[in-house]
Amino acid sequence: MIASARYSLTLLVCAATAALLLPLRDTFDLANIVMVFLLVVFLIAVRFGRGPAVLASFVEVGLFDFFFVPPHLTFAVADAQYLVTFAVMLAVGLVSAHLVAGIREQAERATRGEAETHALYDMARQLTGALTIEQVAEITQRFMADKYRLDSALFFADGESGLQDGPVIGHTPGAIETGFARTAFERGEVLEIDALAGSGIAAAYLPLHTSLRVCGVLAVSPLDPDEDALRAARPLLTAMTSLIAIAVERLHYATVAQEAEVQMASERLRNSILSALSHDLRTPLTSLVGLADSLTLTQPPLPEAARETAAALRDQARAMSRLLGNLLDMARLQAGRVHLRREWQPIEEVVGAAVRLLEPALAHHRLHISLPADLPLVNIDAVLMERVLGNLLENAAKYAPAGSAIALAARVDGNALEISVRDEGPGFPGDKLDTAFERFSRGTTESNTPGVGLGLAICKAIVDAHGGRIAAANEAHGGACVTVRLPLGTPPNIEEETS
Amino acid sequence: MSAPQILIVEDEPQIRRFVRQALEGEGCAVREAETAGAGLTEAGTRQPELVILDLGLPDRDGTDFIADLRTWSAVPILILSARDGEDDKIRALDAGADDYLIKPFGIGELLARVRALLRRRSPAAEGTAQLAFGDVEVDFSRRLVHRAGAEVHLTPIEYRLLSVLAANVGKVMTHRQLLREIWGPGYAENSHYLRVYVGHLRQKLEHDPARPRHILTEIGIGYRFQTHPT
Repeated sequence: MIASARYSLTLLVCAATAALLLPLRDTFDLANIVMVFLLVVFLIAVRFGRGPAVLASFVEVGLFDFFFVPPHLTFAVADAQYLVTFAVMLAVGLVSAHLVAGIREQAERATRGEAETHALYDMARQLTGALTIEQVAEITQRFMADKYRLDSALFFADGESGLQDGPVIGHTPGAIETGFARTAFERGEVLEIDALAGSGIAAAYLPLHTSLRVCGVLAVSPLDPDEDALRAARPLLTAMTSLIAIAVERLHYATVAQEAEVQMASERLRNSILSALSHDLRTPLTSLVGLADSLTLTQPPLPEAARETAAALRDQARAMSRLLGNLLDMARLQAGRVHLRREWQPIEEVVGAAVRLLEPALAHHRLHISLPADLPLVNIDAVLMERVLGNLLENAAKYAPAGSAIALAARVDGNALEISVRDEGPGFPGDKLDTAFERFSRGTTESNTPGVGLGLAICKAIVDAHGGRIAAANEAHGGACVTVRLPLGTPPNIEEETS
Repeated sequence: MSAPQILIVEDEPQIRRFVRQALEGEGCAVREAETAGAGLTEAGTRQPELVILDLGLPDRDGTDFIADLRTWSAVPILILSARDGEDDKIRALDAGADDYLIKPFGIGELLARVRALLRRRSPAAEGTAQLAFGDVEVDFSRRLVHRAGAEVHLTPIEYRLLSVLAANVGKVMTHRQLLREIWGPGYAENSHYLRVYVGHLRQKLEHDPARPRHILTEIGIGYRFQTHPT
């Protein structure tokens, strides 16, 4: 009901009360008439609120004076004690008007609050069921339009690439602009754009905060040219952004979990294929190596030529097994992420193990190892790093002439451990320095040096996974040099013995 | 001494064949089993002095086999495994296997491992208070270590590490086993402790710590102590 109608009705009710009471003027005591007037003021306060009740208080005091207090039909008062009656009547009327109106307003607020809570709850329930970010945007848009006549757009931010260039789903063209959304996203603060003079367009941009990051921006703008709509919805908007943020974050983690699961499944599949392949190829090679080796050892000995053949069979089968090992390693390293088992350890130990493994291959070279005694521990996967050093030493032994020297050295350089393997061979061909670490790249094409060029590619994949660098160079006086740099960190403390 | 009995548990007949030939050439008596189940039965009835076990058996996990066998037998176990099966090897060694061979392997490697394991079983290897390797002499009864005639001072942990290694000569000890024996079960994950102390011990006892001859690294697995370089 609009205000003027309430006031008119108030006047009407007051007049009617006076008219009804007038015939009883001489039968009733005036004190009872006052009671009826006060009751009416009270009812008006309940029904119409504070303003009309105040009006009624004054009007009824006037009517009471004019019609009921002798002398009648004049505001003059014969007995001065009625002035007290007027004052009390007015005061009681005003106070009850105030009290009743206050209670009424509280009740109204509670009803409105309940409606808002219900609306929020309703939206939260819908958001819980949302499976995609588009659904979240759609639910928000519908809710805002229905309840508050607000247009809304949801801007979603990716983990890596920041805020997307446009809203998740389309919206009514008008006040919402991506540029402002980006500003709100970058600042992480609510951005309110006032209505431009005359246009009646206002908008607010609310960043969606989650525990870890800002996951997007909710932009709202009134659908009707009514600036109050935005202001009225402000308290609710804060709660809504939290709800939307939670929904967006939930979807984000659901996606991450799903991707991880797919990745794990594919990794499991790949691993089982690779180990089946490894087993099925290695078993016959094991038989071949063992059987050929036993031929070379039979008693009485085979004729020289036959024994040489058997030894050649054995060596070829071994070479094939090494090649198979490299191919499987490469397949594992290539396919997705490399799982490192990093542990803090002295590099000396890895060098020692690689050298021992390569001892037969290095038999015809002089190996110089130079490791300072005070090298810090490095955080590496020992098995893979042994493979790196083994491959480098094997290459050196393969390409450098028999009798020449191979030098393996390690030193601390800045915040890295630098390990180098140098030989006195022909070095890398000039045009191969850049491509040395590519797969199937070989120093000399079609040469009789065995291998398919996987060794250095494996080294690179392993060193890269450790966050290190590997580089090839030729020495000024000839010979190849491969340098591996591994980042140093802070090794864990080791309690010294007290003895 | 009668011919040592050796049991081969391996599903691939050609591998069984050459292993058998090689061992018989050494004067061993060889029994074969194709599956883990048959292997356990055979080990129970024949009481072999050594078991050679393929980790890739079709009917049962090799580690289970070892754990089962270890409940009633201390027979040395040599496992055959692929190079890329570090996890399997560690689990098998932790379960009680003594040593491993990586496929493919030559006859020479096989026989060296078999001889070392059979030697461990012989009574002569037990109960000696003296140990000599390279130019180092250890007297466990007097807790003295000499190198080239001069006394070497070892810290308590270094000495304990040396004694544990010496007590398991020829056997591969995993990081976990060594950490548990020397520092206690709470330190099973602190393998850098072990690595640092092995480094100290090598500095004091090895001729060239970067190319150890006696305290060998089994990369990614643990250590092996040997008195005679192979």
